[in-house]
Amino acid sequence: MRRTSKGDPSGATGPYPLLAADRRLASDRDLKGLILKHYLGAYKAKGLLGRKPVAWVTSGAPVEILLALDILPVYPENYGALIGSRKAAVAYCEEAERAGYSQDLCSYARTNIGSMLTGRGELGGRPLPRPDLLVAAKNICGVVVKWWEVTARHFGCPLFIVDTPFAADGLTSAQVAYVRGQLEELIVFASRAIHRPPPSREAFEGRLLGVLELTRQATALWQDIQVLRQASPTPASALDMFTNLFPIVTLRGSALCVEYYRKVRAELAERVGQGLGAVDGERFRLIWDNIAIWYDFDLVRYLHARGAAFVGETYTDAWGVYQYRPEDAADPLEAMARLYSQVLLNVGLEVRKERLFRMVRAQRAHGVVFHSCRSCKTYSLGQYELSRAVRDELGLPTLVIEADMTDSRALSAGPTKTRLDAFLELLAAGSTPASPNLA
Amino acid sequence: MTESDHRAALARLVAASGDPLAASRDPLAAGGAGVSAGTGPASASSPPAARSGRRPVVGYVCSYVPEEIILAAGCHPLRLGARAGPTGPVDSCLQSFACSFARGLLDGLLSGQGRGLGGVVFAHTCDSLRAALESWKARKPAGSFTHFLNLPACVEGPGAAEYTASEFGRLAEALPAVEGARPVTAQALTEAVESMTVLRRELSRLDVLRSDRPDLLKGSQLLAIARGAATLDREEATDLVRGVADGLMGPATAATGPAGPGAGISGGADLACASGSAARPRRPRILVSGGFLETEEPLRLVEEAGADVVGDDLCLAGRALAFSGAGRGAGHGAGRERSPAADVPALLSALSQAYLSRVPCPTKHPPSRRLEFLLAEVKSRQVDGVIFLLQKFCDPHAFDYPAFREALEASGRPCLSLEIERGGLPAGQAGTRVEAFLERLRFVGPSADGGGGPP
Repeated sequence: MRRTSKGDPSGATGPYPLLAADRRLASDRDLKGLILKHYLGAYKAKGLLGRKPVAWVTSGAPVEILLALDILPVYPENYGALIGSRKAAVAYCEEAERAGYSQDLCSYARTNIGSMLTGRGELGGRPLPRPDLLVAAKNICGVVVKWWEVTARHFGCPLFIVDTPFAADGLTSAQVAYVRGQLEELIVFASRAIHRPPPSREAFEGRLLGVLELTRQATALWQDIQVLRQASPTPASALDMFTNLFPIVTLRGSALCVEYYRKVRAELAERVGQGLGAVDGERFRLIWDNIAIWYDFDLVRYLHARGAAFVGETYTDAWGVYQYRPEDAADPLEAMARLYSQVLLNVGLEVRKERLFRMVRAQRAHGVVFHSCRSCKTYSLGQYELSRAVRDELGLPTLVIEADMTDSRALSAGPTKTRLDAFLELLAAGSTPASPNLA
Repeated sequence: MTESDHRAALARLVAASGDPLAASRDPLAAGGAGVSAGTGPASASSPPAARSGRRPVVGYVCSYVPEEIILAAGCHPLRLGARAGPTGPVDSCLQSFACSFARGLLDGLLSGQGRGLGGVVFAHTCDSLRAALESWKARKPAGSFTHFLNLPACVEGPGAAEYTASEFGRLAEALPAVEGARPVTAQALTEAVESMTVLRRELSRLDVLRSDRPDLLKGSQLLAIARGAATLDREEATDLVRGVADGLMGPATAATGPAGPGAGISGGADLACASGSAARPRRPRILVSGGFLETEEPLRLVEEAGADVVGDDLCLAGRALAFSGAGRGAGHGAGRERSPAADVPALLSALSQAYLSRVPCPTKHPPSRRLEFLLAEVKSRQVDGVIFLLQKFCDPHAFDYPAFREALEASGRPCLSLEIERGGLPAGQAGTRVEAFLERLRFVGPSADGGGGPP
């Protein structure tokens, strides 16, 4: 593997280069095309000849309903991540802060609000195409409800909130019925918003089931990919997975998404067959908890250079949970109500712990890195409990690093690297694959 | 009621507001002319639980938790706030960027301040409080009662009322698990609704008074009274609030309006009463907006800087009183029209409608009703300026703030935002900013629609 020529200034973890070069997946080339096509499609939809309505949706929105109505979903959170990965978020955040939005608010929200207020953006200088309607689901946080309210005020746009009760440790029938009723209403609401009559139930359900089947196929492929990462060395680390998240988030329910993940799965299977790892000299297998630090993948490369690979992320794993079963066809809206209410960020700590432990065991991890992301309270609050549980119940070392997913002002890279060094030393000192309590 | 009586009533309410947890278990703090829950006068030296036949105390954390159901289950509802002082055990549970109220609340519970509580009821409010609930569930004493009222975020829309009623029903079914509690019956629920309606009506009289005659009753005092009323036995609280209102409303009815002279209760901390009448110049009239405040200190700071806090959009006072269709805070009266024979589901359904139709908290959607409420309030109360008390790391309030500020300033009311943490303000800096703000109000003068700038 190529490495940078820089040496490790700390010297704490051996004669390693500062950063490892990425061993990119060949499918990344297709990924760039998909991203471009998605956003160009959205601009075209709102162009002079465009006729396709655009909805701004949250990442946990029941997007299959919109797709079945032939509405193009656009994801401001993904746009925030895109701006973050270009290290351009701070300027947009500051615009939002100047308008009165506190620096303590979610940086995805501030980035998007800054772009919206200034009319500037990172895709050819343009902001996201204007929405025809807005749909936010509370299943990922309460913040998106408030953020979408701000957006609705700005554009004078119809807004629908999918109000998912907190599924701490399951759902009552009344809770499922409440969400299901809203999904019924969403069909009517979205139809009105795009000035079309609501579709007949039969025709709509036929289209919806088709979209749901594509979602099912994509999530199944995504799960296969996670399973392939159990190999030693792992064929894909966090950088591959964070960048490859784009289709399962923004193209969910499309044939393009399925087609793309077939290629990724085949490539990873090939790597596994060849014994080719994402990281040279894999010594430590780690789990990442929380959203990526989009503006500083060097922290991950720093770990890669020291033989530490990420074999799983709770964040990427969460997108494989949307599984529709064949029997759900009898009442797809109820299935959606149930599944969308039990996404990772809408379940209790006990359930999150179970999922994390399952992943640690399945991926044979040696430690867990928690990104304490100040923007994302639903994800971050509770990490102290989870970290304690991993240490006390699994006997594995953990590290909590303080940062933010897009606002680089929240990260102190130097001290964080020092903490990474200490964590690596802890891994090297005691936690071999044989020692942890992974039974 | 004599003047000394209403002074004593006020003192008791304010004393109870100072440390609600202590007031719920400390016989001395709970002393006074107590009235037990419908069973006649009780010993002045016994704590609320003892006075009310050892009713279990159930702490709750959100104004959307219906006290009526807790009362109907034979329990004493106690509004919980954040623990004062430096943070303790919460630092090992929640990061510093969790809402400071949620952190302080959890800190108090983990520090054992909730000892003596029969149980705690959380409700769906925001991401931080949800996290506090999850931490509390992981660390609470084994077997202690904790219930999560999984309320909707949308107060309008398909199924919201039915769903809320079902969650109220789950609370009613769960509460008898509290030691000493009883099953919720239609009669008990009807009586509890009536009791809370009367208490809110009495508090609303004071709410009107602090706007019409801030020289008689300060906004900071109303907040302390409201907190005291959420602490003490509700029947006793009703009598005390009525006593304060009766004692003050006499001179108030003879007053000539907001700037009129009159005898009143002066001071904040010492609650000394000033008798006699004294004309005073009109002071800037302020409305404060924010969440739950553990102390009235931020309002006192505004008053001490030379303004009157004549209205509020706070969790425990203005918004808690402003139930729809009941005028300015006249209580909701849900279920009052129903006969005691009405069944529990029907009463819970009416109660859910009442709670959903009140002026919403910023955690609830849509936000427009709260803004409409604010705009109506600043007009009807002739408010000159609005001070936002933004709890550190409170997302819902912070998201609403820019648009609300814009709308209020467009209506001619300058706005100021102050960041509060665990009920307090950084005194020196905040005081200077408030003084500068009041100077600005004096310079700007009255707003076009009647909001009076001071002469």
